[in-house]
Amino acid sequence: MSEQVLPLAAGRRAAFSWRRLFEREDVFSWTLMALPLIFLVVVLGYPFVYGIWLSLQDRPVAKAGTFVGLANFARDLDDPVFWRVAFNTFFYTGVATLLKMVGGFGLALVMNQTFPMKNLVRALMLLPFIVPTVLSTIAFMWILDPSFSVFNRVLISTGLVEPPGPSWLGNPTLAMASVIVINTWRGLPFYGITLLAGLQTIPPELYEAATIDGATAPQRFWHVTLPLMMPVVYIVTLFSVIFTFSDFQLIYVLTHGGPANATHLFATYAFDIAMGAGQFGLGASIALFILPALALLLIALARYMRSN
Amino acid sequence: MTSAMTRRDAVKILAVAGAGSLLQARPGQAATSITMLHESSFIKAFDEYFQKKIIPAYEKAAGVKVVYEIVSVGSTLTRNTTAAETGSGPDLTLMALNWPFLFDEKLVDVSDIAEEAGKANGGWHDAAKELAVVNGKWKAVPFGNIGQLMNYRIDWFKEVGYDKFPDTWDELLEAGTKLKKKGHPFGMELGHGFGDNHGWLYPLLWSYGGAEVLPDGKTIVIDSDETARAVDFCRKFYQATMQEDVLGWTDPSNNKAWYAEQISCTNNAESILYVAKRDFPDIAQVTGQALNPQGPKGRFHILNPWAHSIFTHSQNLQASKDFLRWLMKPEIVSGWYDSAESYYAPFLHAYDNAPLWTREPRNLPYRESLATSRPLGWPGPVGRKQSESVAKYVVVDMFAQACAGKSTKDVIADAKGKLQQIYKS
Repeated sequence: MSEQVLPLAAGRRAAFSWRRLFEREDVFSWTLMALPLIFLVVVLGYPFVYGIWLSLQDRPVAKAGTFVGLANFARDLDDPVFWRVAFNTFFYTGVATLLKMVGGFGLALVMNQTFPMKNLVRALMLLPFIVPTVLSTIAFMWILDPSFSVFNRVLISTGLVEPPGPSWLGNPTLAMASVIVINTWRGLPFYGITLLAGLQTIPPELYEAATIDGATAPQRFWHVTLPLMMPVVYIVTLFSVIFTFSDFQLIYVLTHGGPANATHLFATYAFDIAMGAGQFGLGASIALFILPALALLLIALARYMRSN
Repeated sequence: MTSAMTRRDAVKILAVAGAGSLLQARPGQAATSITMLHESSFIKAFDEYFQKKIIPAYEKAAGVKVVYEIVSVGSTLTRNTTAAETGSGPDLTLMALNWPFLFDEKLVDVSDIAEEAGKANGGWHDAAKELAVVNGKWKAVPFGNIGQLMNYRIDWFKEVGYDKFPDTWDELLEAGTKLKKKGHPFGMELGHGFGDNHGWLYPLLWSYGGAEVLPDGKTIVIDSDETARAVDFCRKFYQATMQEDVLGWTDPSNNKAWYAEQISCTNNAESILYVAKRDFPDIAQVTGQALNPQGPKGRFHILNPWAHSIFTHSQNLQASKDFLRWLMKPEIVSGWYDSAESYYAPFLHAYDNAPLWTREPRNLPYRESLATSRPLGWPGPVGRKQSESVAKYVVVDMFAQACAGKSTKDVIADAKGKLQQIYKS
């Protein structure tokens, strides 16, 4: 078959050459990018635009929607639960990110030392990040359970608290603290491993020079390590803020936003409104509030990092 | 798993899937297979009976294969939403609570089947119609009610002088105060679960004469002396009989505490006794069940029905209707009910005295509760605004915040604000 077709194909090549077309840089680069672009448009772009379209409609589940402009957004701003949820999300993200940053840096500094079984420990460190969130959350459900809590058992047996001990998920303040700690626990390895990679790119000569100049260990950290690590810290914080801000699984499994909305976040609240109440438009509008809020947060972060 | 899959495997799977979708039954063709979505039952025997008895029997009788697609507890609404929105998926599905009202337009009118089933099985209970008939048409064929009642420790109640379960909220408070002092607190969910919180908080509100909104769906009536009395009672009840944890509980929490013998009274479906019999026989012996207590304005329970609907997108409409009609035949539905003991309290009068009730007399209150069961949000109209209030936990959080220490005035004002916002448009 190929022999028969050959002369024909050869004839066409004279008029139009695929090779010549691909040799043009713009064509070549767009061809390479086409597939990922299509993928992004289909997987990210379409749902995003559809989400915006939904948020502009009064769109009950299983019914046609009617266009209502920005009415859903106005309703959100008028909703006391929404403001509680907004506060929760910022607080949760802020505190958890800070804890992860400080803790992750510490973890990276420790992991950067030489000690026996270093590689094994580094691998184990990633466990909280690898275990599926739902699974680890269920484990925490038991750890924080008033009846079976290992924390409470230790606290009670050492006489530090009276039985039955603190209610980790029943008390609004403790519930928020608990979910923040669990989120930190889960996100710490991501910080740790990324910052560790950053640490290893710092040339040892800089430390040697600083030591010769008489710098102490804390001085070396402040004046050598930290400035050189800032770009990595920035990137890792950026990612972490995005993940934490839109956290869903942990809250959904552990508290479902309770007690009395004390741990409700944008993502869980949007889900309840869209799926539970069957109001896609309103739910989408709540979810979309993540966008400007996150943008503000990230711009502030970028400004701060640059000014330093 | 995926890492072990080669590219060739992936291509094969895609090819098979593609071919499969091409071969799907077209409307008009005689169906050979229909799919029914169901939520995994707490009563294992119920799902097994359907798979091992009902499906083979129907295949033999009608030559149609039925695929029983089980989803996990709590994810049925999401699955139904996906099916209704994408117009693909199961032919028949499970509907709970007020869902027939939410999915109305995507559900087939099954009035003929429901009316026929009623006639053949001694007639429907009044409660059956409330959440299945949408604008005069049956959009679901009711099955049974999963009652939420009081479960209590017979032995511990006896120790403090109660041979019977207290009949009023005030008496229950008295009993609970004594029991908590003896180290046996009550444990009723006040958190963001999906059933065990509503199961006692709505009835508590109603039994004091309180309500969210009038049947007109416009007049918010939550700000009333009746509500205030219910809230005051709840705070006192919580402080005297419970521990702080209940504020953060979700639905599995009270079951866990029950089997750990940490609470002496809770509000749950009868599965709590069923599971105890299987896994904790000693606890099962001392587990009693009773109607919710009365308040000044009566006794109430929540209506928590299971029903079956057919999606309009089904390619096998006739086959699905035939199957549903067959399922509701007395000789079939009786066995189906029976497989779950009385967990799904039949909405059909023919089973009011069926053996499923005599096998475990402690379940009888679940039958009795049908007459005083009301939909969440009652007496407000059933529909999406009511769903929004439930999804926002307006009533649950009103009580929970009061228990956590806020003033009655503040929590009612807060609930009123939320309801006004919900019912405004």
